[in-house]
This record gives sequence, C-alpha cells and structure tokens, in this order.
Amino acid sequence: MSQKETVVKSITALDNGPKVLKLYMEMCAKCGTCATQCPVYYGDESRKYNPPDRSDLIRRIFKKYCTISGKFLGPLVGAGDVDEAELQGWVDRFYSCTGCRRCATYCPFGIDNSVITRKGRAILDQLGLTPATMKKVIEVSLKTGNTDGASVEAFKAAISFLEEEMKDEHGIDIKIPVDVEGAEYLYVPPSGDVLVNPEATTGIAKIFHVLGMGDKWTMSSLYFDGANYGLFTGNDADMKKENQNCVEITKKLKAKYLLMGECGHAYRVMKMMMEPGKWWGDLPFSIINCMEWTADLIHRNKLQFDKSKNTRAVTYHDPCNFARSCGIVEEPRAILKATCMDYRDMYPCGAENWCCGGGAGLSAMDSLHDFRMKVSGTKKVEQIRETGAKYVAAACANCKRQIIQLNEYHKTGWDVGGVHDMLSRSIWIDGKAANRKEYEA
Amino acid sequence: MSGMAFVVGGLMPYAAAALFLAGMVSRFRAWYKTPQPAKMTLFPAAEGGMWKDVLAETFFFPSLFKGDRVLWGFAWFFHATLAFVFVGHVRVFTGLADRAMLALGMSPETIDSLSAGAGGVAGIVLLATGVLLLVRRLGMTRVREISAFSDYFALLLLLAIIVTGDFMRFGGHFELADTRAWAFSLLTFSPEVPPKPMFLLHILFAQLLFMYIPFSKILHFGGIFFTHALIKRR
Repeated sequence: MSQKETVVKSITALDNGPKVLKLYMEMCAKCGTCATQCPVYYGDESRKYNPPDRSDLIRRIFKKYCTISGKFLGPLVGAGDVDEAELQGWVDRFYSCTGCRRCATYCPFGIDNSVITRKGRAILDQLGLTPATMKKVIEVSLKTGNTDGASVEAFKAAISFLEEEMKDEHGIDIKIPVDVEGAEYLYVPPSGDVLVNPEATTGIAKIFHVLGMGDKWTMSSLYFDGANYGLFTGNDADMKKENQNCVEITKKLKAKYLLMGECGHAYRVMKMMMEPGKWWGDLPFSIINCMEWTADLIHRNKLQFDKSKNTRAVTYHDPCNFARSCGIVEEPRAILKATCMDYRDMYPCGAENWCCGGGAGLSAMDSLHDFRMKVSGTKKVEQIRETGAKYVAAACANCKRQIIQLNEYHKTGWDVGGVHDMLSRSIWIDGKAANRKEYEA
Repeated sequence: MSGMAFVVGGLMPYAAAALFLAGMVSRFRAWYKTPQPAKMTLFPAAEGGMWKDVLAETFFFPSLFKGDRVLWGFAWFFHATLAFVFVGHVRVFTGLADRAMLALGMSPETIDSLSAGAGGVAGIVLLATGVLLLVRRLGMTRVREISAFSDYFALLLLLAIIVTGDFMRFGGHFELADTRAWAFSLLTFSPEVPPKPMFLLHILFAQLLFMYIPFSKILHFGGIFFTHALIKRR
C-alpha cells in the first residue's frame, strides 16, 4: 500500500467511529478559543502551533473523502487531499502537541484536540515515522518491563539501597518486599522512580510500616515502571501489550489491590481505559492510586507528621493525566498540606492547571529540548515563579523531567520531586520523623 | 406573480424543507449509530447529572465563558438573539402569538409596539454581534489562519438574512397578513407569494441557510449534545 493509501484508509475509517473523532472531524466552528488556552501556542503564536491548524491536517482529508460538502466544494470548505511530500513534516506537527486536553476544557463544544493528535501519531506509526526515541522506549519496555531497560539485579540492588537509606533515617529496619506472592498490595511506581527519584518509594514503604502492614505489600522485579508509551505513539496494540504485562503480573502475585504510583498516564490507561473498557475481562483486583490511598489514611488520622521537616514553600503541579483525565486534584494537596508548613497553589490549578510542556511523551524526547524550554514550558515557568515556591511537587515522571530541565534552563532555583517525597521526609515512625541527610539545599 | 418569485417563494420552500429534514435525520442518525468504544471523560466530570451539564453548555456556553470572555459576549448575544428572533417569527407566519397575547388582555396596539420594540432591538443586536464576529475572524491572526471560505460564508449568509430582515423591520410598515397568507398557502400546497423584493431576498437567503445547515459546521447546534455528552460522562 502506498503512503497515501495508508493515510486515506486510516482517516476514512473514522466515518465508522470512534464517535468522538467523527464528531471532531465534522464539528469545529473555528472560533479560535483553544489557541488562547494551549501551552504551546502561548509560548509561540505560530500558525503551526495553532491547535485547529494541526487538527486540520487530518480533518481536511476526512472532509475530502467522507463529507458531501468536501467532495463537491473541496478547498472552499477546507477539504484537501494527502500530500505525500508533507508527511515527514507531520512528525513535527503531531509531536508538538502535549496532549494536555486544556483545549477540550475551554472549547464550547468540548472538542479534544489531543484525540486528533493521537490519531495523527497512529498514522505516523503505521507509516513507520514514529520518532526513534519513542519507538525505542516501547521496544525496551516490552522487552524488560521498564522504560530504562534496567535489569532485575539492578532493581534489587536499588531496593536494598533504599532499605539502607531508611535504616539510616529511622534506625530501624523498614522492608520493601519484592515478588511476594499473595501480598495484598502490589505497588507499581512511575518510570525510573526507584532508580532516580527514590523518596516516593520510601514514602510508601514507611506508610505500610506505620500501618503495621510491612508484610502485606510487594513490588515486582518484573514490573517496576507503570509507563505506557503506546498511549503516546497512538499504537493501540503496543498500549495493550504493555498493559497486559502489568495485569498478568498482578494476577500472578495474587494481589488484591494494584497500587499505582505517582504516574498520571499509567494510572489513566489502567483506570480510565483498561478497566472500564474490559480489555482483559473482569479483574480479580482493584486499581487504586497511591495519592487517593494516602489522602484517605491522612483523613482517617492513621498517619502523623513532623511538618518542621518541610519548611520551604511548596507548590503542586497538576499532571494533566491526573487532574483533567482522572479527576485526582484534592488528594495530592491533602498530602502536601499535611506534610509541609507552607503549601501554595499556583493559578490556575486543578483541572484548569497548565501543562508542564512535556506531556504526551514529549518530555522524553531530547530532540525537543529547545522547543520544550522556549515554547511549551513558558507558561509553567511563569506560573511556578508567581507562587514563590522552592519545591515543586509533580506526581508524574514526565512532568518532573520537564520541570527539572526548565529549572536548569531558566535558572529558577527550584527543587523538583514527588508528593510522597515530602511525606517520606516528615512521617512519624515511633514518634519521630526521619533523621535525614541533606540531599540538596 | 413573476416566475422568479414563484420559484423562491412557491417551490424552494418545499425543496429547502425536504433537504433540511433529510440532511438532519441522516446526520443525527450517523452520529447516534457510530460506536464509541472508550469513555473520554474530562474532569471535573458531571457525576450523574450529565444532561444538566450538556444543557448548561447549550444555553450558556460556560466553557467558552472561562476560555475567552470577549468571544463569549459576542457569541452568546448572537446565538441567544438568533433563537429569540427565530421564535419571534412564529408571529410572522401565524396568528397564534397574537391570539395568545390578546387572551392575556393586551390590545392589538400594545402587541404591535411590543413586537416592533423587541424585534427592532433584536435586529440591531444581531447585526452588531454578527459584524463583530466577522471582524474578529478577519482581524485576529489566530482565527483568520484557521478559517476557510466556508467559515466566512456561514457568517455572510446569516448577515444577509439579518440585513434584509432589518430592512423590512425598519423600512416602513410590513403587512403581516401577507406572510401569514403565504405560510398558509404553502401548507395547503397552493403557494401565493407576496411580490415584495426585500421579502423574497430575505426568504431566499433563509432557505439557502436551511439547505446548507446539515452539510456544514453550522450543525454544531446539533453536535454539541453529542460531544459534551461524550466528554462529560463519567
């Protein structure tokens, strides 16, 4: 099949669904509201970053082949054919949308351009044009179960290191069980957390210890990374394969609860797509997020904290996949308010918060570093600066990477980490919080 | 009755009505039948009261209000006045409204001046907001660069209807008995068309609009129920 045929076939298929895409193809009134709410267009008001202009790459072909007005009136109604010479350029276009869904929040018709972006990326994937970084991440995680390609040994070494750290901090043994069959909870942290951002994992271990449930949970040496890049490349088969891996491991370990870590898109795929879509039928376990779990424990007074361990001003960045796509907004704030002395919200926040500029997988792409620093991350820098916060908590590995790089690039002087990191530093164990080494200023 | 007038006022109404109805039915049916395998929930989702959310969006545009307040001002007054004028045309084509108001104890003079006042204001608001929307589309880069000819055409067609309507409203007395007779003659399939050029122009544009709606983006007034329902559903 020629490239053109592949594109036309993929787009004309939308006439039979999914319903959202068919409607989005036919309905946009071209009012321009989305552009005012898009983090990319905010950073650079170029036509190529105007959301409907990007979506029109697909829409114009749909109009030409699937609508009466497009067939007869062509360019007059914005219809047009595939231009094979242009397809390589589609890569830059569809990989400059952060998929944050802010456009959908403000669109008078609720048109979600991120769905069209994902369709565009799916077409690129069919054409073999998916950027190498993304392709590589998927290959590695399908092979090793994690996006870093870390071995089982490396994971186990990292876990022992964390156990030693906690011993130093509290003077007692706090275990992180690995591969324990029949444990009640299976904890799956976000991408790279155990290796590079370990305090969230120690936070979870400490909570289980305080609850006297130190032997009722486990991690998996075969699945310690919730990331699912199939969501980002638009390849449904990859997305399901990566997801199936996690579901099968959870079943094998006979866990009752799949406790998802601070990773927005992983939780979204599990909770909003796989579970309601019944990809693997009825599940023998429930899916919960660690922030909901912890916030509930705090609400029920099961945990106590020494806030004086966290005196710096702290703000929370809402990952798009948690706030807009899963409705998890209050829980991280409840945790931060309970564990920090000076919590400050940015404006706007919650479901209206701006994207970090690295969403939909862009954060992992070094080729987009300049774009992310100078264009898509502009608004985030302004927002965080306005709060005066010195610690930015972000419950997402991609957001963290992006905000860390924004910090380096714009020399803003922030520390960036997770939500449970703050908990790990302040939680009371036997009447006192961690005696913590200073990792950073 | 000239041949042209008969085509516009005697034949075209049937064609326009048929095309409009057939087009609407086929579009709604297609949307209704197209499968949606996964939910697309966007938070804060409407828990349980999804239709309340959809109706709020339909009548008050709260998402747009949060997103672009100036456009909300233009758009809401334009749409609301359009709906008001659409309902107001009941009085143009039937005596029902008059009878209802007479029953409420109003005099024919009061009804006429009420209608002239409300209709006049509506005519001016529509013209003003319509022109503002057009100026906005032409003047703002981010809107102009995503606009196709069809986006201007929809507005220009509406403005043509509004201008010809305003001419009739403000250009001397207009005999409602004529339009009521015309509407009745259409219903009895024996069209009698009032030979008034401005009236004929007005209904020509209006009928073009109705024929165009099912095949154009103006159908957003139907699609809005589907898109918001899909995205706000929990």
